Amino acid sequence: MPWLKCKSGRIHYELAGPEDGPVCVLVNGLTQYVKLWLPFRDGLVARGFQVASYDMLGQGQSDKPRLFIEQEDQVDVLRELIASLGPRPIFVGGISFGGVIALRYAIEHPDTIAGLVPMSSFAEIPPQLMRLGMAMRTALILGGTTYLQDLLFPMNFSNAWLEAKADIIGLATHRGWLINDVYALQNLMESFLNFQPLTAKLSAIRAPTMIMTGEFDFLVPRALQDSLRTHIPNSELVIIPRAYHAFTLERADLAAYVMARFAEDVMAGRFVGKQSIWIAPDEVGGELTPFPAGFDHLRTIPVRLPDAGGAEPAPQPEAAAS
Amino acid sequence: MNAINALLGPIDEDGRVPARQQTRIAAFLLSAHGAQARQLATTMPMHLRQPWHIELHAQYCREMEILSLLAHSTTWVYDPHLALLSWQWEAAWLPRPMQGAADHFHGLLVDMAALGHAIHAGIRPAALLPENVAPLDPFVQALRRIEFESGRLLQAQILFLKGPQLADVRADVAAAVERRHQQVGELWHAILQGLNLVAE
Repeated sequence: MPWLKCKSGRIHYELAGPEDGPVCVLVNGLTQYVKLWLPFRDGLVARGFQVASYDMLGQGQSDKPRLFIEQEDQVDVLRELIASLGPRPIFVGGISFGGVIALRYAIEHPDTIAGLVPMSSFAEIPPQLMRLGMAMRTALILGGTTYLQDLLFPMNFSNAWLEAKADIIGLATHRGWLINDVYALQNLMESFLNFQPLTAKLSAIRAPTMIMTGEFDFLVPRALQDSLRTHIPNSELVIIPRAYHAFTLERADLAAYVMARFAEDVMAGRFVGKQSIWIAPDEVGGELTPFPAGFDHLRTIPVRLPDAGGAEPAPQPEAAAS
Repeated sequence: MNAINALLGPIDEDGRVPARQQTRIAAFLLSAHGAQARQLATTMPMHLRQPWHIELHAQYCREMEILSLLAHSTTWVYDPHLALLSWQWEAAWLPRPMQGAADHFHGLLVDMAALGHAIHAGIRPAALLPENVAPLDPFVQALRRIEFESGRLLQAQILFLKGPQLADVRADVAAAVERRHQQVGELWHAILQGLNLVAE
């Protein structure tokens, strides 16, 4: 089992895939751990990437500082892990909390990575997200890790997934409870208490960037993720259809396919971000399609923009017309 | 330090943890939480005048509940090693005022909180329970309740140790907490090793 000795502690990580190829480094979200990347990781490995996944400081089998974990410590861990991988094209993907760390890393070390993929992530904490975060912290404090996980499951997954996986959710919750510690999760959550918005610094990111967002993510609404697109110069926003917050688990194969395509385009010199907006295909192998012009991609109903014209209205049901 | 690589057991046909394991674990938890209760009792004033006195009182009552729960839910058996082990545990809980504190009293308070943090955060007895254990067995319920309550009790220590009044001595506080975690972790590890629950 590989371990990386960092300034802030000992980090558990895993490598999979060819040792001489481009590398995707995956940064997990809150309560996650290495094993939860497996289906996503396998999708990338199948397309020729080496994948480095690790337990964030304070999570999984990595060291858990007792009182204080700063986000800077997490960035340092990521920097040391990337440095250990050698001079190869490196793509950093992070989901949710992990996306914030990936963003921070890309801001501070803009020339060390070939590409950046923030997933379900954010650079600001407006009141909705802050209140949700504080409520989750209270849930952890009063109800423990299991209660926090009980809240996170419906925030992260669709009805269909929750129904299909009903028989394993108990086991997954138990594993999450075993591998996580209340104080360590609390430290991670409290590293956001003095969070300063990153938005003004996003323009420092020079790496090609693909922002991935679930169509139905209500934990980190699309507007927050879209703000990454509008502030990162060479970026694009890709909407994963019918996905919620944790699409690397629920739609792992599709998400891995989209990330692999992005990395391949970057390496082939085909990537043109232009702060464009795309819709991912429904299935692996399909094509991305541009978000239809003339419609507001931040709304969930097709709201016509003030200067748009020409779109045909949808047919009306007869009952509604009568 | 080696990781835990086994769970309590073998569980008997009624889903109960072997009495020898119950005894050793309960004795250690009684010693650790007993030390917390004693320290809280001696710190708490006769008349509660300040908001933090109320918190001390709540902590004291919860620690007493844990002690009572363990005493009454454990299937006790004679353990010849307990006399020596108890002496070792009790010696470990003796106060060690934090260096760098404003005065001796504050050094003691930080140490008490650091020990509490280590006991409540570092010991997870319910994580040792196998899946096939009887969920309604009193000892099983007691371990689960103790671990759950520890997560709440821990909040007072976190609030104090991370509070602004100790910001100037943050490194000393972190070191004091780390020392107590190391100490409690070694004792807990030795117990689990004695029960063949960790690799040598």
